Amino acid sequence: MRMNAESCSGAVAAILAGERRALARAMSAVENETAAGKALLHALQPHLGRARVLGVTGPPGAGKSTLVNALIGAWLARGASVGVVAVDPSSPFSGGAILGDRVRMGEHQAHERVFIRSLASRGHGGGLSRTAARVVDLLDAAGYERIIVETVGAGQSEVEVAEVADTRVVVCPPGLGDEVQALKAGILEIADILVVNKADLPQAERTERELLAMLSLHHYADWTPQVLRTVATSGAGVAELADVIERHAAACADQRRAHGGRVRRLIAASAADWAKRRIEDLASAEFDRLCAQVRSGELDYASADRRALELALRSENET
Amino acid sequence: MNKPLEAGKLAAHETAAKQWQREFAAGAVSDQTLRNRSGVEVKPLYTPQDWRGDYDAALGYPGQPPYTRGIYASMHRGRTWSQRQLIGLGTPADYNARLLEMIAQGTTAVSLIPCNSVFRGYDMDEVHAELLGTCGVVANTAQHIDRSLEGVDLARTSCAMNDPSPFTLLAFMLAAAKKRGVDWRSISGTSNQSDYLSHYVANHMFFRIALPGARRILTDHIEFCNRHVPRWNPMSVVGQHMQQAGATPAEAMAFTLCSAVQYAEDCRARGMQPDEFLPRFTFFFDISVSLFEEVAKFRAGRRIWARIARERLGARDARAWRFKFHGQTSGVDLTRQQPLNNISRVTVQAIAGILGGLQSLHTDAYDEALSCPTEFGARIAVNTQNILREEARLTDVIDPLGGSYYIESLTDAMERKILAVMAEVDAAGGMYAAVEQGLPQKKIGASARAFQEKVESGEQTVVGVNAYQVEEGSGEREALPVPDPAKMQAHLAAFAAYKQARSQAAVQRALDGLAAAASDPKQNVFAHVVEAAEAGCTHGEICATLRRELGFGQPLVVV
Amino acid sequence: MSAQAPKVLVTKIGLDGHDRGSRVVASYLRDAGMEVVYTPPWQDIPAVVKLAMEEDVDVIGVSSLATDHLIVPKLMRALADAGMHDVAVIVGGIVPDADEATLLEAGVAKVFHPGSALENIAVEIRRLTQQRRALNA
Repeated sequence: MRMNAESCSGAVAAILAGERRALARAMSAVENETAAGKALLHALQPHLGRARVLGVTGPPGAGKSTLVNALIGAWLARGASVGVVAVDPSSPFSGGAILGDRVRMGEHQAHERVFIRSLASRGHGGGLSRTAARVVDLLDAAGYERIIVETVGAGQSEVEVAEVADTRVVVCPPGLGDEVQALKAGILEIADILVVNKADLPQAERTERELLAMLSLHHYADWTPQVLRTVATSGAGVAELADVIERHAAACADQRRAHGGRVRRLIAASAADWAKRRIEDLASAEFDRLCAQVRSGELDYASADRRALELALRSENET
Repeated sequence: MNKPLEAGKLAAHETAAKQWQREFAAGAVSDQTLRNRSGVEVKPLYTPQDWRGDYDAALGYPGQPPYTRGIYASMHRGRTWSQRQLIGLGTPADYNARLLEMIAQGTTAVSLIPCNSVFRGYDMDEVHAELLGTCGVVANTAQHIDRSLEGVDLARTSCAMNDPSPFTLLAFMLAAAKKRGVDWRSISGTSNQSDYLSHYVANHMFFRIALPGARRILTDHIEFCNRHVPRWNPMSVVGQHMQQAGATPAEAMAFTLCSAVQYAEDCRARGMQPDEFLPRFTFFFDISVSLFEEVAKFRAGRRIWARIARERLGARDARAWRFKFHGQTSGVDLTRQQPLNNISRVTVQAIAGILGGLQSLHTDAYDEALSCPTEFGARIAVNTQNILREEARLTDVIDPLGGSYYIESLTDAMERKILAVMAEVDAAGGMYAAVEQGLPQKKIGASARAFQEKVESGEQTVVGVNAYQVEEGSGEREALPVPDPAKMQAHLAAFAAYKQARSQAAVQRALDGLAAAASDPKQNVFAHVVEAAEAGCTHGEICATLRRELGFGQPLVVV
Repeated sequence: MSAQAPKVLVTKIGLDGHDRGSRVVASYLRDAGMEVVYTPPWQDIPAVVKLAMEEDVDVIGVSSLATDHLIVPKLMRALADAGMHDVAVIVGGIVPDADEATLLEAGVAKVFHPGSALENIAVEIRRLTQQRRALNA
């Protein structure tokens, strides 16, 4: 998509008007990190912040997609428009991917107030893709009031969703047992809402109690994580989940502040990502000396990393 | 086979063996290890060294544990296998005409396959009209089933309804039987392909209701039939879908047995007794052209199932240990290129099934790969069975391959492969859990890919496709037989009239009762499906009600 | 212009559910580096059009057994109505010759019969993708 000022503003207008094709093509440009895509994002920045972003994660078998499907239904019934970003893993060997998540929201994918986009992780760890947050921004700009980001589903390492989302939902299958312990590492710590899905199964009650027990060990300031039970296939508990999500939104003060928080986190993540790439690519004698100083013990890591940042910025400005 | 050889004889034997090895190596085309579809190594020659099993422990007599040689004492000598040809097309009248013809030609049992729209849970007026009736009969009401089976004595003819959850076709048949004054207790047949897990995993053909709901309805169905239609087999555990989807024969058998265990455990959890419900479990398998592998697969399956039924599921009645199965010749082995070759393929597959000891057989028509079969093709398919039985006289000897060093060695090897896959499923928590996690789907997909690669590389020959090809003009590929559009329009119009004329109040009452039953675990959903059928509800109405109450899930995508 | 791999939709419309072929193709395309939106069977036409639009796919691959290909012309019309002339459609499966001609006339780019080499499908998809990208540049 070659972009000049005119076509950029045309695309901006189309996206703000919610034009589906323009939005989809903008997403491709953003995913591929083209200059046109970047220009578009920049132009759209003042128009962001209206959407509430929900991050949904959890281990495979928890029924995340079925729950997301049910939640979309609840929101549609309340008149909202919903955007969904579903991330599937790319093959580390071929770079290709099977994007099969969206059809699990089969019932609603054809609804005109729903927009679903599948993204391949493209080698990115952490549960999302490098551009997922930007794709969320596009949906925000296009006027989708609720945006769901559903992650790859590996479980433990998906803390990244915390940065993108305003409200973080972790879906657990009942009878976790040892897996509860494994989940603890990161995921449960970022959850605003914990959902025990397939709650019609016998172990559900026990899982709920285990989660509550774990939460009681922590101290929370503004919001205490809620534990809910749902049966996504029948819809039981989904209305309650939607209510709790709204309560969380209210508890996190007004929209603007929430968006500000997200922007802050996203800038930090983006900067860290830039710094990591830039530093790893440094090919100067100065940097080699720096590394030698760390190896010998002359410099500690805290000093070295400040120095490395300076080198990275300098090399960036020189190019 | 078990006699130890004396020293002198031993030396002579060794010399002979070495000579053979030398000559074989010199004459063999390559020294590459050959493997069958399940991955079992296939040697060029088998001798007593390859199987030193104990006859009584490993083989036994037909009709007795371990059942390796057959589940009945007399097998096909006593009662030949049922020629149960799947038929389905067009309107009920079309179906009935074809059915009566096939019966005249020797088909002894009925198998009704409905239109794809029915499989999806829709009535004829809810789908694209041009797709109706091309591969199955468009039957949406009790009247339609009654018409389809006109002239068939329901008390004497075994009828298989290809109709997974919620089993409306059987419900329609029971309603029709009641109207005809036929006692349900005399009705025999099978809810063919009632195995919802196999549909979910392997061909998504009949997927209508989310897994938990399907699980509930199946158990209700088994309970109802055991009590009210005691000669009916409500449980048809299917290996055919998975093998057609690409599972190796060993994998297909393993997953099928695991599903059977799952269903049996669900029944037991409901309070049913294995001795009551297991005798009404039947199995349905694919038969590929890999002749000896298929024979060994079935023999191993019989042996494993008998052991599971007795030891794992606690059945004490011998009837519960019997591995009854229907075999269908494999459609995926057939080709579109030079389709008449399919007659040879089907013959080999049928032989494999017969020698494997099946209880009923469907042979595909040669034109199956082109479209739904023509009458001409269907007749050849039935005659193939007639020839094998009456000219080749395959029924004269029970388990004729038994005792072959190869077959016994292969049966053991297949058993090992099957048990290994079963262990993986057990480790995942049983078949239901494994399916939720995508384990069988992943394995099947990998096997399908591997086979495709063998075909593309030429390692696996497919005559007419990657070898022995000929230029085929378009004349050799027939057009699809589609149902007469005028007849289908008339059928649609009659359906609309039917809906107008029936008692709306009775229909609504029945559907409300059905919905209430679905949310009440203490009620039997299938009993309400039968009531709904009797009240004049349509297939689509019944499915829609259940879908609303129990959820219309989406299958897990595992590629 | 990035040399991003093709984004392909592999789907089944109509009533049939046998998806071995489409699964094998999807997995092959993934191994060839493509991003494949894969759907289970029984997608209805409006859903397919919407999906193709939202995912910005380059090519739609329809897998068909039996008679489902008979409604592919309806899909072609729906795509045209939605302004998606640039998205190519290929059909794989059992299609009699007479019907193949009908499909090509309706705008289907190519029909692949059973026994088609997977690499040929991948090559055609790359070609069609290049065409689309050039058109939209």
